Amino acid sequence: MTDEFVIVTQALSKSYGHSEAVRALDLSVGRGRITAFLGRNGAGKSTTIKMLLGMIRPTSGSGTVLGNVINDSKESVALRRRVAYVAEDKPLYGYMTVEQIVRFARSFYADWRIDSEKQLLRDCELPLRRKVKSLSKGMRTKLALLLAFARRPDLIILDEPSEGLDPVATEYLLQSLVARASEGSSVFFSSHQISEVERVADHVCILEKGALLMDASLDSLRESYRRIDLVFPALPAEREFRISGVQRIQTSGRQMSVFASNNADEVIERAHGLSVVSVNVTPIGLRDIFLETVKENERALV
Amino acid sequence: MLWYKAWLETRARFLTCFATVVIFCTVFVHHALHVVCAESLSCSAGLWDPARQAEVYRLLFINQQFLVFMWILSVVLLGMGGIVREGAIGTAAPTLALPVSRARLQGVRVGMGVLQAIALAVVPWLSVASVSILAGRPILMRQVASYILLLVAGGMVYFAMSILISSLIPGEYTAPAVAFGIVILAAILFDEYLRGLNVWRLVTGDFSVDHTTYLLSRHLPWLGILASLTCALLMFFASILAVQRREF
Repeated sequence: MTDEFVIVTQALSKSYGHSEAVRALDLSVGRGRITAFLGRNGAGKSTTIKMLLGMIRPTSGSGTVLGNVINDSKESVALRRRVAYVAEDKPLYGYMTVEQIVRFARSFYADWRIDSEKQLLRDCELPLRRKVKSLSKGMRTKLALLLAFARRPDLIILDEPSEGLDPVATEYLLQSLVARASEGSSVFFSSHQISEVERVADHVCILEKGALLMDASLDSLRESYRRIDLVFPALPAEREFRISGVQRIQTSGRQMSVFASNNADEVIERAHGLSVVSVNVTPIGLRDIFLETVKENERALV
Repeated sequence: MLWYKAWLETRARFLTCFATVVIFCTVFVHHALHVVCAESLSCSAGLWDPARQAEVYRLLFINQQFLVFMWILSVVLLGMGGIVREGAIGTAAPTLALPVSRARLQGVRVGMGVLQAIALAVVPWLSVASVSILAGRPILMRQVASYILLLVAGGMVYFAMSILISSLIPGEYTAPAVAFGIVILAAILFDEYLRGLNVWRLVTGDFSVDHTTYLLSRHLPWLGILASLTCALLMFFASILAVQRREF
């Protein structure tokens, strides 16, 4: 069980006063996978990542990263030796030059690869002698990613990695993520860019208001989520389709659109029983799945 | 490499303070020796007038007063920064993601600061001693060593306080303002009510100087020095605890 997952949390929670940033999070991130952590601003993604890396203490619950307990300061040091982390906003030391910060980071990790460092420096065209504070946001992002990708860590944790990158650099980032995963590193990254997630991730976790709403493989989502557009001679009652898996029903005139996370076949069968005129089934993209999941959660809370 | 980071982080502040302090002390003592010599006929004849000796040591005592002021200013500035400040400006993440404990992070920061504080005390006094030798009026090295000891061991509590404050208060200006406020307030209050415990007077040599010869006594205020060092150690320890408990 432990070997299967690089990150495991059990009822992990973090509160700031009366505000709950993360609520009873049960998360399992599989080894060797690229797992995307989706959520709106303030959903608790960064707070979760900070708890995993020992930057903040959980209010309750527990967790392990690469088998190391996150609450234990000694184990936290051990896990950070095997994890490459790129924080949101890509903070780096402004008073160092690119060369100094690379030399500084290199000294801490046994898994640092000089050949990768040189390759990345060439690819990213980073000026070695320039101070970090005078780099553009894009260049700073590239440098932060270089510091993570020049290693061969067991786990790479990235918080909004493509923020501040141009399309070319974003493409390079996505290819690098896939390459690192193929070399055996597990990748866990948070993002708002659903199109990027769809391209590289093989597992998706959706966090909303501190709670985990979804934890599924992208393939299974693609297979199970369907939008079923139905046209009837006379519109039936919505309750006829309120079955398990149906997340939302929209009606317009004689037309009905059913969003189903599963049970699409059952919906179609019922539609035929109600003299449906036209049935059109289309797969739903991750963007719509995300929006539907979040909206569904809001409706449930109301 | 944490030492390297600590050095790069404080290098500009340290070198500025270092240059200011060394230049001030060198020029002050050079000028003071020149004035004392010019007033002494025996001096110009190549003889050392013992009556003028007290005048020279009085000037060295005055030099220590200025040096103490500049040294405290410098160590308070050197104590600023660190992981709490990094947290405030958003650069704590790469530091906290390093595979090192927070105690070690803070320990290296303290270590670098202590070395810099020692350099800020030793080098100015060595330059003063060098000037006196070059001027043909060598001062007693024992006096130099005593002034350095008072400054470093007695004054370390100021650096420790600065480290502690910067581990509690993230503000770029708030932390040094609070630290300077405490230094001034403590000097005034202790001078008024607990003069014997005034660290400022301990560091300047006021408790150990003979006001006739202006030579420091052989019996330095060891108890005061020990108490000051103990306070400094406790404050360093408290700063480590503060950093360990803090959330970023």
